[in-house]
Amino acid sequence: MSAIVGRLRGIPSWQITLGVALLALGFLIAAQLAAEGPRVRYTSQERTPLVETALSLQATQSDLKDQIVKLRGAISDIEAESAGSQAALKSLNDRLEQARIAAGLIPLTGTGLVLKLQDSSRPVPPGGNEADYLVNAADLRTVVDQLWLAGAEAIAINDERVTTSTAIIDIGGAVLVNTAYLAGPYDVSAIGPTDLFARVSAQAGFQEFVVNRVGSFGIDLSRAEPPIVDIPAFAGSVTLQQSRAVPSPTAGPTAPPGSTDPATGSPP
Amino acid sequence: MIRRPATHGEFGIRDRRSQLTIALVAFLLGVLVVVQLRNQTGGSALQNKSSQDLTNLVGSLNTENDRLRSEIAGLQNQLDELRADHTIGASSVEQIQAELARIRAWSGLDPVAGKGVTITVTGRIDSTAVDDLLNELRNAGAEAIAIEDIRIVARTAVSGSPGSIDVDGFLLRDPFHIRAIGKPETLVGSLTRAGGIIAQLAATNADVTIDVTPTDDRMLLPASRQDLVPDHGHPRV
Repeated sequence: MSAIVGRLRGIPSWQITLGVALLALGFLIAAQLAAEGPRVRYTSQERTPLVETALSLQATQSDLKDQIVKLRGAISDIEAESAGSQAALKSLNDRLEQARIAAGLIPLTGTGLVLKLQDSSRPVPPGGNEADYLVNAADLRTVVDQLWLAGAEAIAINDERVTTSTAIIDIGGAVLVNTAYLAGPYDVSAIGPTDLFARVSAQAGFQEFVVNRVGSFGIDLSRAEPPIVDIPAFAGSVTLQQSRAVPSPTAGPTAPPGSTDPATGSPP
Repeated sequence: MIRRPATHGEFGIRDRRSQLTIALVAFLLGVLVVVQLRNQTGGSALQNKSSQDLTNLVGSLNTENDRLRSEIAGLQNQLDELRADHTIGASSVEQIQAELARIRAWSGLDPVAGKGVTITVTGRIDSTAVDDLLNELRNAGAEAIAIEDIRIVARTAVSGSPGSIDVDGFLLRDPFHIRAIGKPETLVGSLTRAGGIIAQLAATNADVTIDVTPTDDRMLLPASRQDLVPDHGHPRV
């Protein structure tokens, strides 16, 4: 035993170091060879392109996913924006509908009355003017004005809507309303309060008309108060050639009555 | 003492050999450690997959990518449609706004500006004569009319007796002005022609003077103060 120990002590230290190092080297070579087995199998000729293809497909997939995220974001943005536009569009259409109603461009139905005017059936006396015994444009204008004064909200003469641009003039034996030649009898339909006839007949102007035209010349005036009065829409042109629209936030006037027009400097 | 140098020389050669051997072994050891470590940690997860696994992976990636492309195509179509609708919506809004502005201006809901005529009426005129003037202006193609700052609309009625003529609740002074937008030459010609409305009114209203003056396009007519939307009628369906 002491002999063995003595021999071991006799071994130089570099040999021990070398021995340990060779042991480690042998272990590593064995490990390397063991790891080499499958790698040799996977680095066969068809495997390398497969790995490259897979890596490329993974990169493509990442790009595609990015694109999807971006597209969904864009869609979401535009949908949010469109929702606002839809609301604005609806509000705008509502305003347009109200403006058309106010302008007389939409047919209306409601309470009111129909006044019928017919030429006089009285014989024209000698020396009399035959035209006085016929319903003329002035008669119709008077009746229309009196109806407006009494609170009428929409008026039509023989289905011709009376609008802001409507002129009522005599053309021979007929009456021109808007661009339509009308012949009697004339039905003046008006939408307004249910007591529209009571209101109009209480007005001095209407009473004067009755006295002057019905009483003196026999113009035939009759009324009907159907439960529902229908007024057609204005079918003529709504054209502004010389006018520039000056939009205002409210429908009110831009200047108080009696003020000087700043645009022209002219006194009102 | 004689052996010492020999011993010294023998040991010197042996030391150099052993040092070279150790250096070589250490170098190989270092290289192998590095290679081993690289094998253990380097490369992607794909390096450890078999060809069969890789083939399956490639197939599945292809399928998934095709699905993603299809999804992208659908989303792109949806986006294109939304953008087109958005553009159409914007142009619709512009058209509706233009239509709204035109109708509001025409009906008297909004102020309008333009050239036309100013009619100055002096004297005790009656309401029927004023109404006749308005009617003639409309007939001559006036696009907008105002008496003083009262915009004339469909419902406007002129009433009262000479000296106290009322327009929509506004009492006219003497003189007063009627302003109308339209072609000045047409309006002036229509009003002042022989046998026209002014000539007729002059014949029946001797103390009334009516002057017509063309105006430039800076004339501004106000909006109506009336609420033109009916309370007793509603749109017929």
